[in-house]
Amino acid sequence: MAHGAALGLTISRLTRLIRQRRAVFYGVRGLAWGLCLAVVPVALRAMVGPWALPLAGGLAAGGALVGALYGMLLGVPPVDALGVADRAFSLKDRLATAQDLLGRPDRGPLADAAIKDAEEHARHIALERAVPWRWPREAKLLPAPVLVLAVLPYLPPVPLPDVSMPSFTPATEEEKKPEAAGPQQAVERPTPKKTEKVERVEMQDRDYQTRPNPEGREHAKGDLAAAFKDTNVATKRPDFSSFLKQGDDRIRLLERVDSLPDLQRDFTQSQYKVMFRKSRSLLSGIDPRQLTPEKLRQLLEEMNRMGRRPGTGPGGEGDWGQEMMEGAEALDRGQMDKAMDAMERALSKMRAQEERERGGKGLQGGKDRGRGRDGERGGSGRPGEDEPDFGEGQGSLPGKGTNPGWRGDPSARLGQNPFDIGVEGQMRKGKRESYDTNMLGKGAQNPSRLPSMSVVTQYRKMMEEALAKEAIPLDYRSQVRDYFQALEER
Amino acid sequence: MTEERIEAFVRSYGELEREVHKVIVGHDEIVDQVLVALFAGGHVLLEGVPGLGKTLLVRTLAGCLDLSFSRIQFTPDLMPADIIGTNIIVEDADGRRHFQFERGPVFAHILLADEVNRATPKTQSALLEGMQETSATVAGVTHRLPSPFFVLATQNPIEMEGTYPLPEAQLDRFLFKLRVRYPALEQLNEIIDRTTTSHDPSVQRVMTGVETLAARELVREVPMAAHVRQFASTLVMATHSQWEEAPDITRRYIRYGASPRAAQALVLGAKVLALRAGRFAVSVDDIKSIALPVLRHRVILNFEGEAEGIDADRLLSEVLEAVEASFREGKEVFLR
Repeated sequence: MAHGAALGLTISRLTRLIRQRRAVFYGVRGLAWGLCLAVVPVALRAMVGPWALPLAGGLAAGGALVGALYGMLLGVPPVDALGVADRAFSLKDRLATAQDLLGRPDRGPLADAAIKDAEEHARHIALERAVPWRWPREAKLLPAPVLVLAVLPYLPPVPLPDVSMPSFTPATEEEKKPEAAGPQQAVERPTPKKTEKVERVEMQDRDYQTRPNPEGREHAKGDLAAAFKDTNVATKRPDFSSFLKQGDDRIRLLERVDSLPDLQRDFTQSQYKVMFRKSRSLLSGIDPRQLTPEKLRQLLEEMNRMGRRPGTGPGGEGDWGQEMMEGAEALDRGQMDKAMDAMERALSKMRAQEERERGGKGLQGGKDRGRGRDGERGGSGRPGEDEPDFGEGQGSLPGKGTNPGWRGDPSARLGQNPFDIGVEGQMRKGKRESYDTNMLGKGAQNPSRLPSMSVVTQYRKMMEEALAKEAIPLDYRSQVRDYFQALEER
Repeated sequence: MTEERIEAFVRSYGELEREVHKVIVGHDEIVDQVLVALFAGGHVLLEGVPGLGKTLLVRTLAGCLDLSFSRIQFTPDLMPADIIGTNIIVEDADGRRHFQFERGPVFAHILLADEVNRATPKTQSALLEGMQETSATVAGVTHRLPSPFFVLATQNPIEMEGTYPLPEAQLDRFLFKLRVRYPALEQLNEIIDRTTTSHDPSVQRVMTGVETLAARELVREVPMAAHVRQFASTLVMATHSQWEEAPDITRRYIRYGASPRAAQALVLGAKVLALRAGRFAVSVDDIKSIALPVLRHRVILNFEGEAEGIDADRLLSEVLEAVEASFREGKEVFLR
């Protein structure tokens, strides 16, 4: 047989075996990951629909297939393949070395002997045992996704999260239809279909009209009429015309926030929302040029009145009196566009105040509220601004106590060298970073200090160099090291 | 023909080992590694406390080989000329005087440098040229040393008073540094039996100088695959803390790593091991087997290593494990 023929045969058989084992190895790994992914469509079958199970099966099968293909297509260098057999049969790299030597044109007699020896060994080994079956770590996790997939179809579908963005556009005719469909539909709200747009609760443009309740049912949960059920306006239907003329009782009631039941701070208590609704209903489907200045003036006045509620200081975001004045002046001059612009700015301020209140009040504690009141008393308009955030006796070193400059007095520095500074100050607890150089005699009275960290570091380097250069006899080395170790422990 | 040469080598090696063990009890590993160094063409530094048979081992080996043998007891007042030799004035028959080079004890095939660390560095360095170049230069004249030239030096690691540790340059010229340890209880009993009776074991000469040189030639012909060479190079590089792929323990404790001579020593030693086992090529296992004696005197610990009393053998074993794991990972056929 020619040189290398037996080795070539061994390589091809080994390569085939390795590819098989790899295909299984990566196939199982792919199957495990595919099964994990398959859990998702089964869990969300309410959204995916009847395709959930086929999709899950496809993912699992696809994972296994991709893994197996990957394992089969991975390259197998001949030397590495032979190395597997070398290790399996303790051949001391005979086969891999022979393969390497085969490629050398200038090999000597010993190399030829090595190849011959390797081929002799290759003929007598059972290659099937050379490449063991290997299982990926993911194989142990396989039962978990299988179990989940088996159980999931018998469980109720996972409720879909509300991920749609709020709609700021005016309501279309299609959206208004359900509202006009009748009182029965309004009370018995159907579960929203998958295709329906679901708006965020706080941005929903709810109609808080009092729903007719001919059958004497309880108010539906979330019905805004519940806020007024114990008031004299509970059964009144709001009239926009009368609101423009006299102001709606509900709006006035909304101003008295303390007397209203707290329905988890429903958005309908928001001034901004009320005014937004009013302005929208005013502008919806109407050309601004057709809007009468009287109506707009009434709206602006209402907004101005609401802007003077307690807690909104002049000039702040809560005060939209300036915009109201600008709007009124623009109306006087017959400039509807500027009046509308002023109203929009006032609305923006309202919204900013609304957002601030909604974002902060739920989390504020008593201290914050107290600060706010203090701040108002101080007239600074920025509650708690001048109160330091340090308690009694707190502060950074070296200052302490209730020094109004909470960083404390500057420390007196020794000498003028800005780079190697010793600070004379109070002794504090903990590890000392300097040592006294004069402990006896006259010098004992001098507060003479050396920065020990730099000195010790410097001497430590010298010691290390001396040790490295063998300048210190071996017998003394341990003593020197012990000495420096003792210094560090201080 | 090749197979016959290898068989002859294996036979001679075995006979030499047996002859040495007629005198030396135990120390199988030491004897084996001394023979490996002999056939690899290197020198050996034997380190051990007194009385373990270091000197006896060298003398026995010299007795087994048909080679000249010198022994130098290194002392603090030993001078380089005492080792190499010196020019002396001689008077010929005509009454004319001229300088004549008187050869020192270094001119021998096997040189035992006993307690080499007791001599001054100047005297120690007199051996440098001989160990590396197999020559000695006196008064500008270079004299060739006999071939094969094989230095076995001993040193005592405990009595450090008045000693001069060998400089790194000289240490690097030793192929192996072997640590001679205490014999086991049974071996000690046998030593007592052999040495306290009238029985005087004698050894036979089993190899000549020419045969030794031929064996050295054969060793250098042993082929080595690229992946084995790569392993040896990686192992040497792994002792360098500056190497970007160096193991963590190297970065932590080693200041200077092994020199390229270490890689040469690894390969030559591994070739002898392969031949001794009757194999035609070097394996990774051969490199691993010879790694500690080759590397232990070639790495210099940093302050942290010295301060923590890190043993070079333990450190190198961990480096070897790290390199082997990395090497196996590279050859892994499944997870890539």
